[in-house]
Amino acid sequence: MSTITVDVHGTGAGATPAPAQVLAPTPLVEGRPTLHQITEDIAYPLEARPGKGWWICFAIAFAALLNLGGMVTYLFAKGVGIWGLSNSVGWAFAITNFVFWIGIGHAGTLISAILLLFRQKWRTSINRSAEAMTIFAVMCAGIFPLIHVGRPWDVFFIFPYFPNQRGPLWINFRSPLVWDVFAISTYFTISLVFWYLGMIPDLATLRDRARGGIKKIVFRILSLGWNGSHRTWSRYEIVSLILAGLATPLVLSVHSIVSMDFATSLLPGWHTTIFPPYFVAGAIYSGFGMVLTLLILTRQTMHLQHYITLEHLDKMAKVTMFTGMIVSYAYITEFFTAWYSGNMYEQYHFINRATGPYAWCFYLMVLCNVITPQLLWTKKARTNVVFLFIVSILVNIGMWFERFVIIVVSQHRSQLPSGWGMFYPTIWDIGILIGSFGLFFTCFLIFIRVLPMIAMWEIKGVVAHGAHKIALNTDEDEREVVNA
Amino acid sequence: MPNTNTFVVATFSDPEALLQAVKAARAEQFRIHDVYAPYPIHGLDQAMGIRHSRLPWVTFWAGLTGLILALTFQFYTTVLDWPLNIGGKPDNSTLAFVPICFELTVLIGGVTTAVALLVRAKLFPGRREQLAAEGVTDDKFALVLKKRSIDLKHASAILRENGAENVEQREINL
Amino acid sequence: MDNHGGTKRSCKERPAELVQIGTPAAPAYWKSPEELHKGVHVTGEFPGGLPSAKSGASEASRRDFLAMMGFTLAAAGLAGCRAPVQNAIPLLVGSDQIIPGVSNYYATTCRGCASTCSLLVKQRDGRPIKIEGNAESALFGSGTCATGQATVLSLYDDARLRQPIWHGQPAKWEKIDQQVLDSLGEAENRKARISLLSGTINSPSMREIISKWKARYPNFSHVAYDPISFSAIRTANANSFGRAVVPHYLFDKAQVIAALEADFLGTWLSPVEFARAYAAKRKPEATPSLHVQFESGLSVTGSNADVRVPVAPSEMGAVAAALLRRIAGKAQSANVPDGSDPVASEKLDAIADELWKHRGESLVISGVNDLSVQTTINAINGLLGNIGKTIDLTQPSLQREGDDQAMAALVEAMERGEIHTLILYGVNPAYDYADAERFLNALQKAKLAVSFSDRVDETSLHVHAVCPDHHFLEAWGDAEPVASHFSLAQPLIAPLFETRAAAESLLRWLGDPQPNYYTYLREFWRKNMLPRQTEIKDFDTFWDRSLQDGVVVLASAGATRWPSATRDWEKTLHSVLQAQGPAPASRGDDSYDLHFYESVALRDGRHANNPWLQELPDPISKVTWGNYAAVSPKLAAKLGLEDGDVVRLKTDRGQIELPAFVQPGQETHTISVALGHGRTAVGKAGEHVGVNVFPLTSIKNGARSYSLRNAAVEKTGKQESIASTQTHFSMEGRPIVLETSLAELKNGESNEGKESVPTLWAERLHGEHSWGMAVDMNACTGCSACVVACQAENNVPVVGKDQVERNRIMHWIRIDRYYSGPDENPVSVHQPMMCQHCQNAPCETVCPVAATTTSSEGLNQQAYNRCIGTRYCANNCPYKVRRFNWYNYTDNPEYDFNMASPLGRMVLNPDVVVRSRGVMEKCSMCVQRIQLGKNIALQGERDMADGDVQTACQQACPTQAIVFGDLKDPNSRVSRLRENQRHYEVLEDLGVRPNVGYLKKVRNPIAKA
Repeated sequence: MSTITVDVHGTGAGATPAPAQVLAPTPLVEGRPTLHQITEDIAYPLEARPGKGWWICFAIAFAALLNLGGMVTYLFAKGVGIWGLSNSVGWAFAITNFVFWIGIGHAGTLISAILLLFRQKWRTSINRSAEAMTIFAVMCAGIFPLIHVGRPWDVFFIFPYFPNQRGPLWINFRSPLVWDVFAISTYFTISLVFWYLGMIPDLATLRDRARGGIKKIVFRILSLGWNGSHRTWSRYEIVSLILAGLATPLVLSVHSIVSMDFATSLLPGWHTTIFPPYFVAGAIYSGFGMVLTLLILTRQTMHLQHYITLEHLDKMAKVTMFTGMIVSYAYITEFFTAWYSGNMYEQYHFINRATGPYAWCFYLMVLCNVITPQLLWTKKARTNVVFLFIVSILVNIGMWFERFVIIVVSQHRSQLPSGWGMFYPTIWDIGILIGSFGLFFTCFLIFIRVLPMIAMWEIKGVVAHGAHKIALNTDEDEREVVNA
Repeated sequence: MPNTNTFVVATFSDPEALLQAVKAARAEQFRIHDVYAPYPIHGLDQAMGIRHSRLPWVTFWAGLTGLILALTFQFYTTVLDWPLNIGGKPDNSTLAFVPICFELTVLIGGVTTAVALLVRAKLFPGRREQLAAEGVTDDKFALVLKKRSIDLKHASAILRENGAENVEQREINL
Repeated sequence: MDNHGGTKRSCKERPAELVQIGTPAAPAYWKSPEELHKGVHVTGEFPGGLPSAKSGASEASRRDFLAMMGFTLAAAGLAGCRAPVQNAIPLLVGSDQIIPGVSNYYATTCRGCASTCSLLVKQRDGRPIKIEGNAESALFGSGTCATGQATVLSLYDDARLRQPIWHGQPAKWEKIDQQVLDSLGEAENRKARISLLSGTINSPSMREIISKWKARYPNFSHVAYDPISFSAIRTANANSFGRAVVPHYLFDKAQVIAALEADFLGTWLSPVEFARAYAAKRKPEATPSLHVQFESGLSVTGSNADVRVPVAPSEMGAVAAALLRRIAGKAQSANVPDGSDPVASEKLDAIADELWKHRGESLVISGVNDLSVQTTINAINGLLGNIGKTIDLTQPSLQREGDDQAMAALVEAMERGEIHTLILYGVNPAYDYADAERFLNALQKAKLAVSFSDRVDETSLHVHAVCPDHHFLEAWGDAEPVASHFSLAQPLIAPLFETRAAAESLLRWLGDPQPNYYTYLREFWRKNMLPRQTEIKDFDTFWDRSLQDGVVVLASAGATRWPSATRDWEKTLHSVLQAQGPAPASRGDDSYDLHFYESVALRDGRHANNPWLQELPDPISKVTWGNYAAVSPKLAAKLGLEDGDVVRLKTDRGQIELPAFVQPGQETHTISVALGHGRTAVGKAGEHVGVNVFPLTSIKNGARSYSLRNAAVEKTGKQESIASTQTHFSMEGRPIVLETSLAELKNGESNEGKESVPTLWAERLHGEHSWGMAVDMNACTGCSACVVACQAENNVPVVGKDQVERNRIMHWIRIDRYYSGPDENPVSVHQPMMCQHCQNAPCETVCPVAATTTSSEGLNQQAYNRCIGTRYCANNCPYKVRRFNWYNYTDNPEYDFNMASPLGRMVLNPDVVVRSRGVMEKCSMCVQRIQLGKNIALQGERDMADGDVQTACQQACPTQAIVFGDLKDPNSRVSRLRENQRHYEVLEDLGVRPNVGYLKKVRNPIAKA
């Protein structure tokens, strides 16, 4: 079908395959930049001096990061007793933050991998930064297990290493925490590889722009001598599709496994079979919330409105709304299951969730994750930048509290009433949470300064060449998908 | 006898022109060494007659290795090497091994594929880039023909009428 | 067990030839009750451990060592100075005689309180480290109380005096002795009075020493003073029956028990003995006794009663009278006192019926220290014919001899300056006397005041000389808790400091230049005890047997036949009731009664510096570290009080401020406050914890009164934290503590019907044992002895009030207490909860590093050095019995309780590793004891027998509520109990298959009441 229409403006819009037609009726990039113009625009932030806005953000983020360093050092010196934990509630902020950050990461992989498989061309201008977000989010998540145990020097016990001084004492492969270790490290590695591979051609471009100096050397090393050979390009695209094909089930597995930390235990409120899909949906929901937050900020501060258009925001808002509704559905299912199960512990737990001492967390969660997405039905709302920004913040707050409710509220009243207790966060709990945001934003702010936050070659691909390529080879596109 | 590093390089700024030129060059039985572009030009594979890559097979075998490794290792440690009574569960709790099997399949499959690509394309840190022409990583496109068995005049004529901006003979270490 | 007199003689006379002593002879100490009967077998640390296995062949050498140790300890006492102590641990004389890592058990006598229970103390490498009950004792059995368990820690208390003190300065014994002798001489010349103010002294030899003082110093007087006084009982019995004694109550003979404000299972008179006897009579398989409790605040005893009636202290008299009225009516007695019923009449009728139905096998007691109440009680028991049946006045209890009037008189005499030399022994009036101020001022008037206190306490701060007494584990001694029931005490360790036995001080000041209490004691027993038995002629044999057993029952000396009917107690009763006048007028709306009671942990406060006791949750409120004002839910609602709201209690004896604690079952118009808190000089752990309410007690008609009328209470608006270890008291309808009624039980509601929860996995093969436990919810009184026993056995750290508030208490065994029914007067249950050692343990599956696994003997075991501290196991434990080391609680100045000081660490059990920061820990079912038991069996080349291994909690339990054993052995007690129709598992439906089971609580209420 697509061979007829030829869009001279080369946005690839009119002619993209059916699913894209739904999602991409308008230009992906505003204006008609030449290839060189694209290079110029995207390389600009890397070569110009940072503006005041960037410096302010960076100062705040870095301060928070320093705070994290200080607090974690103190924690390692004293012990996890400085947190508000107790015999009743052994997991609280650290694990909540861990799950929260892992969740954030998922949107990046979704955009870069899943949308690639679905050939969503609109992803091109946001996937690079989304992937970067994934990397940094997983880093933030990764530090929490270390902090959580309070004795990082013993954490290597959790790896099945050899030779093993402790006799043939291996690890317990039945423990979801061990699954976590493998899932998270795999997820981080694959995301990193995917991200880096995608960046090599752009690094080469920057290398060739650089006029000598350290910059040139660094880019030369990083770009591995890329010279744009089409034979390489053609393998390159296949590998991208393969990695996308691997990353897609991976990202689904990661949060499923994280959710099994809870689902496989027998604590009322944790012991639930719907956790895996429910957590994955929640992850994508929160992830898109974070992507929105970041991109709205960067497109303003970096003046990239032409590349990250309202159209992108609109599409992300739609995904947010959709996953938000899945999450809401999961909430309802939980309550129904508890009632329908006739299990007194389950029933008590959910009554307690909605009426107990932590009810306010529950209702805040409902407000942010059930009510808020409903505000995104109108296009007007989805394209109002300020409004979207507020929504995205609410989404993040809501998802953090969702994890808090699941983790803390379930523990604080378990099977034996004699073991019941409360959790009150200390300054150390809160400080370390803030610190993790510091780490995240510091990394991200540095990223947008030193690396191309938009994939130049992909933009060039869709802008300059979209129409032609598609006019000729739609059928072949499909075949590549098959090959992948 | 001209040496193998001598090429005829034609540069374009319009990818469609390049595509035409490639077709023409092949029609003329010129030996196309490679095409250099700032982004993958779709349709060029057919035009240049590039065969399908075998990289997917690398992924398959690497992934399979990961799977077997994970399965055997978990079985060895928990059943053969040191079985422990953990929660009264059987030593061989195969279902509990599934997540790690999956993760290792993906990990080893994915990383190996990426490495295979770099190896196949001879990309490695410290390699000095060899650019066929100025700006092939920015907005220029270059068609590179093997000099051997080509008459430069004839070739350049054909290429120019297909929109090449410049055709020259160069010695590059591509 | 004979002809080793030579040993002892040589010990006494030729200390130089110490090494040669010991012809093969039984030592005066034995490792375990088994050893006493089955003979000695040495144990080692390792199966077939080489040194022990060998020495097993030659017991004599080891016995030499033990005998020698016995002697050298005596020698230590003998001189009371350093030199001989140096030789006390005879490592110098051949280490082939000592087996490192092997524990010995010595029988001795507890001095934790005046009950003086018989003990068996575990000594390891020369250090006493664990207190256990002496199963040989006919009175106390193998159980102990929480306080007794904790006394071993007091031995290693940093606050103990290192040497005598003269005018606040360390001094030499010689100097002080001289000063005292001078002062005594001066007093004698001046015809001035010399007084010894002591607590109850039930040591026969000490009594003799005191009588010697009487002889030596004509104007010497001895005054016995108990902060918790029983003098009204003594007076009442003097009036009613002509004997000023506290009777010996026989709970095991009582079919119906009615107690008025007497916490006899927790603190009253002799709780270990009473709990044991009470439980023996409460077995649902037999016909259990009926227990009625009238009390104002909910006590341990009340929480176990079949019928509990909340009554304000000011109405206890009326309750007693109301009961008497009914009983007298049934007995057609001449004079029946009239009056009105303070509580529902039909209740009283029903109770009276039950009492009357069981005349002669019922028991009515009261802890109210008031003459009229006690006389009424006497009348009731008299009419019921309980005297001589359940109440023994011929062989009375000698555990409380304090005389309030004598004490008051002494204070007056002191005020008048009549007391020239005052000797204080085991008393601390400046803290616990009703008029402490008055006492202190009077104390200034004494020319010389000497105290035997082991520390600088509120009183010894103001005396001229402090002559620190030994801790009882360092001292020789004897005791007679109940007439003709004797028990001996022997040292477990050479004195740690330059202390001296009080007895030796007293002997020294009688003029004996080289006092030796050990010798004195032996001679005393030769003179007085040997003749009272005919079985053994040779004294040394008798002595060694007695010392080895720790207890001996001798024919009662002197007049024992007590003419029952001769005294007309009815007349005295009448006079008393008239003297007492009409029942108190009904109270105003805002006037409340205050009720002061001994808390199970701290008792009268003498152990306030014992961190184990400070952190022991109160059996009822579960509050640690400090006391509180227990208010009824109704009053709390009225005043808008919540836990921790500070209230001001205004009384005519001054006012105090305390945090309120809403206590279900609390009598509506009564506010209960625990005594024994708020010490100002005792040591770092106990100082300024809680508020001292002794000043609010008073002397009423010659007796110390522990309640007040017409107190006003008001909310201050201030807040004070209360460190409670259990904040939710309802079972929420979950199958946690199951109950059954006696009727159901008799109708054989059996276990056959219920099928066990199916499991997904095949049964895993176990080793030759499968250790399990059964806890009888019907026997457990909640006394909490097991909690401290576990703490002592397993080196459980004390974490302090702040950590307890954060819900981080480390106890491996806790006693959950749940209420059901109306909160004016709920039904309570106590449930000991420790690791359930599940066979499908949820904690194990989730541990990433396999730090917790099931052992081949069915134990859920924790590998501390493998644990990385994810705390996943604790989350997944449905019983919440796992404990995490949030900080480094050991050797950490911030947690400066006992594990932070070298002295305090001496109490640690070398068999149990001390856990460090960041690891999870929990009940191990005393795996070290299991190992030892297996080794003993191995070296004895026999199979393990049921009962070879006792866990610490089981051993400490005075009511035998906990039974541990091998589930693989079908005849073991625990296996049989698992077949019991009362048996069930907590949260059975989760399918975790615990190896710890429980026996249902049996309810047996009176139909009408």
